[in-house]
Amino acid sequence: MKKIIISTIAISALLFTTSCENEFDTDVKDIVVSKGEADFTKYVSLGNSLTSGYRDGALYIDGQNESYPSMIAQQMKLVGGGDFRQPLMADNNGGLLLNVGVNVQIATTKLYIDSFIAGAPDIKNANNNVATTLTNTVLAGPFNNMGVPGAKVSHLLAPGYGNVSGVLAKTANPYFVRFASSPTTSVIADFKAQNPTFFSLWIGNNDALLYALAGADSSVETLTPPAQFAQYYNALIAEIATTNAKGVIANIPSVTSIPSLTTIPTNPLTSAVLGNGNIAAGEANIDNLNTNLYGPLNQILTAFGAGDRIKPLSKTAANPLLIKDESLPDLKVQITAAAAASGNPQLVALATYLGTTYGQARQAKAGDLVPLTTKSEIGKAEPTALAALSAKGVSYPFADKYILIPSEITEINTAIDAYNVTIKAAAASKGYAFVDANKKMNELGSQSGVSWDGVKYTAKFVTGGAFSLDGVHLTGRGYAIIANEFIKSINATYKSTLPWVDPNKYSGVKFP
Amino acid sequence: MKKILVSTALLAGVLSYAGGFRVSLQGVKQLAMAHTSAHAEDASVAFFNPAGMSFIPSRLSIAVGGFAAGNKVTFQNTNTLQSTETDNPMGTPLYAAIAYRPIEKLSVGFSFSTPFGSTIEYPSDWEGKEMVQRLELKAFYFQPMISYKFNDWFAFGASYIYAKGDVKWDKAITQFGGELNLDSKASGHGYGFGFYFRPDPKLDVSVAYRSPVDMKAKKGTATFSFPTASIYPLLGLDASGKDSFSATLPLVEEYTIGLTYKITPKWLISADFNYHGWERYSKLTLDFGNAPVGNQPSDPTVSVSPKNFHNTKTFRLGTQYAFTDKIFGRLGAYYDESPYTDENFIPETPSYNTYVVTGGVGFKLKQFGVDVSGGYAMPQARDVKNANLGFYGQSTATAFYVGLGLSYNPF
Repeated sequence: MKKIIISTIAISALLFTTSCENEFDTDVKDIVVSKGEADFTKYVSLGNSLTSGYRDGALYIDGQNESYPSMIAQQMKLVGGGDFRQPLMADNNGGLLLNVGVNVQIATTKLYIDSFIAGAPDIKNANNNVATTLTNTVLAGPFNNMGVPGAKVSHLLAPGYGNVSGVLAKTANPYFVRFASSPTTSVIADFKAQNPTFFSLWIGNNDALLYALAGADSSVETLTPPAQFAQYYNALIAEIATTNAKGVIANIPSVTSIPSLTTIPTNPLTSAVLGNGNIAAGEANIDNLNTNLYGPLNQILTAFGAGDRIKPLSKTAANPLLIKDESLPDLKVQITAAAAASGNPQLVALATYLGTTYGQARQAKAGDLVPLTTKSEIGKAEPTALAALSAKGVSYPFADKYILIPSEITEINTAIDAYNVTIKAAAASKGYAFVDANKKMNELGSQSGVSWDGVKYTAKFVTGGAFSLDGVHLTGRGYAIIANEFIKSINATYKSTLPWVDPNKYSGVKFP
Repeated sequence: MKKILVSTALLAGVLSYAGGFRVSLQGVKQLAMAHTSAHAEDASVAFFNPAGMSFIPSRLSIAVGGFAAGNKVTFQNTNTLQSTETDNPMGTPLYAAIAYRPIEKLSVGFSFSTPFGSTIEYPSDWEGKEMVQRLELKAFYFQPMISYKFNDWFAFGASYIYAKGDVKWDKAITQFGGELNLDSKASGHGYGFGFYFRPDPKLDVSVAYRSPVDMKAKKGTATFSFPTASIYPLLGLDASGKDSFSATLPLVEEYTIGLTYKITPKWLISADFNYHGWERYSKLTLDFGNAPVGNQPSDPTVSVSPKNFHNTKTFRLGTQYAFTDKIFGRLGAYYDESPYTDENFIPETPSYNTYVVTGGVGFKLKQFGVDVSGGYAMPQARDVKNANLGFYGQSTATAFYVGLGLSYNPF
């Protein structure tokens, strides 16, 4: 009997040891990372503000240290990657001074949340907006992070883009001035001179973004035509290809889903806002506007079948901003004639002015986008307007540069789509690793966002965690999410096994 | 013939435990035999099946015991190559039971036990700190019970369950560089009933059901600690960063069928099948008093986390051999299913399909019984693929149990 028990125990024990896998097949402590077919000894990154580590509206040391190429370089060091030098700013506040005989400040310091007022962040510039970094001081290079804030594709090819004498004329870039090897060099020439073994390229954003942030007003910023984009981009790739470096390139995220354009509602005008916090004053203001402006305009426009352009304001609901939509038929003549014939002496006296000012005016609606920078302009006096009707967005329609209308959004997104076709084709033709940054940013912009170890990142301003206080650039955490997309793509293309970074370890929005 | 029977039976046992935060440690003698249930030797049967009290040989029986349960969970992220091991404190589940038969047909009893609970403690800066740094769950069951013996071979018993417990949950809120501590007492009610059969002196059959208990935490305290207090008003918190919360944690129902067969007067084998209703734990809803830290668009103070547990089965097989009428040797093995898939793996209650081997010895000195037992668990390493949390990697664990039980059967 005992024999039986002992034999069954023996069999059971044997079975357990063979069938149980309570250990990992591969323990991560035993994993040796590999560079695969790539050589990471000299990694140089090319790009714009996103590559430089720019965030909170400025370039500053902490942000640079959390730039995505810096993160990638840390991982590359595990497999023979060299040091990653960056043209660090002089301080942690950012902003730039330019010496033109005297020091002139040409870039503001970083944004920070000073406090919360009624639940909304009160955002200010650090160090009372006093910068200390002097553009004219040229650092001894070369630098591995060649990301230049504000650069478009063509700028990387442009000789003299680092010439301090061209800064005020905007033919040169103050950030590149700080690390250009000579006043006459170009970004791409300094890149090639380093003989990189590996590169990353994420450029083209500003070809559309700057235009979008300027409310698609081409007198302020231009949208690069897609054909021109392709020409510059392919020229840039051809230059890069002469180095024989392997590399990774990323496409351009849609710029119309970033917090900078999605945070301010189209209807921020409540009684409280219109009364500067005093609801009774706001209500009186609404009555006044309805009697003297919104009401008459509504009547006139209704007569011409365009009554939906401007509706009287409500005291109980949030009201839309008043904007100028240059895509609308101009009813200048009709408004002028109707006002002149109204019999109301005030309207008669202002007939021409009303026609000129409100001919293409309408209230903002879903589908329009209001840049974050427009917020501070709401209600400010427009100097060219009649004093009594000069409150921007309230009694004076916001000009083109303050608002993106649907046709402009379509125009921008169509251009980006075309840019991205060019970028993808360029990657494919040279066998470079390709990062669909657009797709990842869209994930961030979606309701579900991107989750990482229980932390949910979304594109929501301040609380979403991924975007910094400028609403355009990422936080350290957001850049880490992007760094991982680069790493995944590098690994897939070059059979390397660079470990991912942990986004939660980097900094997010700082709270007071 | 017997040889083959025994071999296959034990093999079946190997191939065939309860996952989640269920603890199967309510009887030292039972644990030694894979925590099987059809044993009516002393009052420790009370937790398993109130009807079993009617078949305890002595009219009064008292059983008490305690365990030391050690475990360690390992998580590794194959993408970032980070590896984490928990530093869990030793668990000490306890039980006590008394059964008394004032008249032949009627038995009354009381059982105290700790059927649910776990303390898991990760390094406070581990990669999953936003989900959990430390979670301590405790549940105490107080069960008065009664059993009626209809005839020589059949009894029915029922119990009322009063459950009391607490939850302490620490996690990081990295966005604000702070931490959240949830602390609450909870209580709930339930019941159990069972049938115990002895159709043949050689055969015991135990059929039992234990109802679910909803542990309601109504006056929980959520303590937020951030580097600066400026965020507190934004989150609707008082000056010390506190808010209230309520939640309900389900403790699940369990169906058990158990058999014990005496092959020889000295040798018996036992088998159990358990079915656990983990499906009830489909989500965890935390309802905060003021803090809009939830995820529901309609009410930002409500946080709903999907759990998606599913019902599980446990297969148990144990044996006891009486070397003399004073010394008993016991062995067992069981297989316990994890109540969730890889896609629903959560680090606060890590769970694996687990094989457990058990063993122990018992001594009987007149009316006193002393039993010791041990179990070694082999949780199966698994992939972690929780897209909702963005939690990916692999996890495994090790666990062991040792127990000491005393019983007293005076008359």
